[in-house]
Amino acid sequence: MNQIAERWAPHGVGSIFLYTHEAHPGEYWPHHTSFDQKLQHARALRDVLGVTRPILVDALDGACHRAYGGMPNMTWIINQSGAPVYKSDWTDAHSVENAIQYFVAAVDRRRAGETLAPFNVERLDLRNADREAFYKGLERNGPKAVREFRAAIG
Amino acid sequence: MEGPRVGDQSMIERYNYNEFVPQKFEPWMRFEESPPLGRPAPDFPLWDLEGRETRFSAVWSVHTYTAVEFGSFT
Repeated sequence: MNQIAERWAPHGVGSIFLYTHEAHPGEYWPHHTSFDQKLQHARALRDVLGVTRPILVDALDGACHRAYGGMPNMTWIINQSGAPVYKSDWTDAHSVENAIQYFVAAVDRRRAGETLAPFNVERLDLRNADREAFYKGLERNGPKAVREFRAAIG
Repeated sequence: MEGPRVGDQSMIERYNYNEFVPQKFEPWMRFEESPPLGRPAPDFPLWDLEGRETRFSAVWSVHTYTAVEFGSFT
């Protein structure tokens, strides 16, 4: 996602990471009990996991996250007028870049004089489901996170 | 640093669940009830990593399009 952000920035596409709650709290990265702690975890996203996009932090009660559907790793694309044009309940870089490519091309089509009107489309995209890599990520959070995920999901 | 207003303590504790068990994480997953495409998106205060307040609308109004990934360290 960082690379996509860099690739499309010259085309008028901004990218941010919006920090929510800990989806899989563990011994090393526990659930939030204060806003300062939430800020510290968000900084770790930059410093430890290498997120280079601007990171913005939601309120401690997750007001923004909850209003947008509360999924643990969703992506939305919002236009300059403040209207969402894409939303996915899971983040997949291929899906996001495909959408960005489409919308940037639409800007070019408009500039070329084409008259465009919005319409709705539904699509069932495919995401990477590498369970082994996912468990490796969980281990970073602490053994509790691994244990709880195995019990809840398998 | 001026942080956000302290909201409903019960909501804060439930939202920031301390264990990944279905009865604690499932109530927050409401994607089917999320805002529709093409209509004005709900605006909220957000904070940068130094704790300075901004707004979601201040972010999306800068670029032709803005991709927003929601998530956390875990």
